[in-house]
Amino acid sequence: MTETSTAERHSQRRDEPHEGARPGDDAAGSERTASAIHMQGLHKRFGASTVALDGVDLTIEAGEFFTLLGPSGCGKTTLLRILAGLEEADQGRLTIGERDVTEVAPHHRSVNTVFQSYALFPHLSVRDNLAFGLKMRGVDRAEREARVQRIAEFIQLGDLIDRRIDQLSGGQRQRIALARALVCEPDVLLLDEPLSALDAGLRSQLQVELLRVQKRLGMTFVFVTHDQDEAMVMSDRIAVLNGGTIQQVGPPREVYERPVNAFVARFMGHANLYPISARQGLRVTTELGELELEPDLATTEQGSGELLLIRPETLDVRLGRHEGVNHLIGRITERLYRGSHAEFRLTVGDTTLQATINNRGRRLPEVGDEVTLVVAPEDLVTVAN
Amino acid sequence: MRKRTLKRGLTAFWWLTLVFLYLPLAVVVLFSFNAANSAASMTGLSLRWYHQLFANDQIMSAFGNTLVLALTSSLIALVIGCLIGYGMYRHRHRKLGWLIVLIYLPIVLPDIVFGISEMAFFVKIHELTGLLGPGLGTMIIAHVTFQIPFVALIVYSRFVGLDPSLFEAAKDLYASPLKRVVHFMLPTIKPALISAFFLSFTLSVDDFVISFFTSGPESATLPIYIWGAIKKGVSPEINAIATLMIAAVALAALASLVVNRRKA
Repeated sequence: MTETSTAERHSQRRDEPHEGARPGDDAAGSERTASAIHMQGLHKRFGASTVALDGVDLTIEAGEFFTLLGPSGCGKTTLLRILAGLEEADQGRLTIGERDVTEVAPHHRSVNTVFQSYALFPHLSVRDNLAFGLKMRGVDRAEREARVQRIAEFIQLGDLIDRRIDQLSGGQRQRIALARALVCEPDVLLLDEPLSALDAGLRSQLQVELLRVQKRLGMTFVFVTHDQDEAMVMSDRIAVLNGGTIQQVGPPREVYERPVNAFVARFMGHANLYPISARQGLRVTTELGELELEPDLATTEQGSGELLLIRPETLDVRLGRHEGVNHLIGRITERLYRGSHAEFRLTVGDTTLQATINNRGRRLPEVGDEVTLVVAPEDLVTVAN
Repeated sequence: MRKRTLKRGLTAFWWLTLVFLYLPLAVVVLFSFNAANSAASMTGLSLRWYHQLFANDQIMSAFGNTLVLALTSSLIALVIGCLIGYGMYRHRHRKLGWLIVLIYLPIVLPDIVFGISEMAFFVKIHELTGLLGPGLGTMIIAHVTFQIPFVALIVYSRFVGLDPSLFEAAKDLYASPLKRVVHFMLPTIKPALISAFFLSFTLSVDDFVISFFTSGPESATLPIYIWGAIKKGVSPEINAIATLMIAAVALAALASLVVNRRKA
């Protein structure tokens, strides 16, 4: 269900023309165009032994909500800092819009960052924080004030404008940090885990807000996170990084449902992965037994060390023994009840696997029950090890 | 029950400590208002010692010297110490721990060692070049040297207490290196600078040993004058000077405290 709606929203957003609007600008037809970003062969080392980026080639389209996703130490933050100019690449080229900015200092780039810690200046009021970038750029006072007022209303924090920073809550600080970057109308907005310090409720509220802002402004957003759920909710496209290299780039559904390798499969969510011991046409043999794939997957290249991926939610768990294609008989060993759904750990022969079932109010299987697991051929994916 | 007794005991101990610390000061303050000539008895309240004090040219010149020395040295130490504090912050990740110890050293070194070294150094320079004859100049240099570590450490700890992203945010928001200093760094560390200034000022007014070894015939400060005068016996005039100095130092310390409170 959720997947379909995600896909709908996603395709809708892709087809929509990005209308360039100024933050808080009501007059239509303002001429702001978003900028694309090109990265070529970016390398970065720290010290002698730490390789942060090991050859990154990536193009981020103009007006895209693009996410750099990966575990800590994967290089995503380093990449963002190179985009901001806070770090310089050892090798490679970086272009933003038409301009080669590889060696351009941060204060000469039309790029702004929302920092993880928000980095609001403690000695300045909200108003002066918002005006800081404009003031440094030499925007005259009258325009500065008008733009600050507009952005404050745009993010609905107009009444906080004369507060001190230490009088704000976490969520308010986050919004001010966003506004402080947006008011400069940069070509690209960089966001370094901007929501990670907030509690879950506020976080999902601000995810929606951030998405609306990006959509309305049509600005290029580059977002860094280690949270795959957040990445999938927000992004037009995701780049999954590991060990300083890009593992896969694609829209959320593609990265989650058709991961290219075991790392991406595991990082994007719970993954049952089994080595494929034999493959004949559409049939693959794993320790679970023989399973049938869908026809167009059977044509993918058969590299060595391929794995079969079964996402826990694609398994249909039925009580008792049933016969049929892709039916596996197993026994439940563990159940985690989560209200809206339940997670199960099962054994099929000597192999363990996980399954997730939506709670539809019917009787959920108990530990010790014998069940039949059914998986549709089109939900099976083979991935590189 | 036992707990309450203990609590009362500790409270009494606290008050006793305060009395121990402040009673001698209180005596000096009290006797500065004594109408009698000797400290043996208190005959009545009077401001005559204060009148005498202000009529005494030697004291007034010592007072002027103290003020000029404290102000000048504090301002110079503020500039140099601020730069050093920032340098220590910028390079805090490098293996320069021993340099930081070098900054601490003058703080723990006995004043007398410091004073003698300064004197020997100035005398040698004077012999060789004719420059740096003993006087306010040498005293300012000596005071600056012992004030710098305090300023540097106060500024350093203010920088360390800041979110490092603030420096990057300033860059990110189009501030050039000069604008970063003017619009971000200086305003942010202003409370630290003010309290460092007051501390330096207090240290300078407070200092006797180092001043004594580096002063010249014309540059006696209040502590030096008092030391000289006391050899002829403690006059009530000295009590009046001491009282004024206590008041000045207390004010400076209080100002520094208030500024520190406000910075949060």
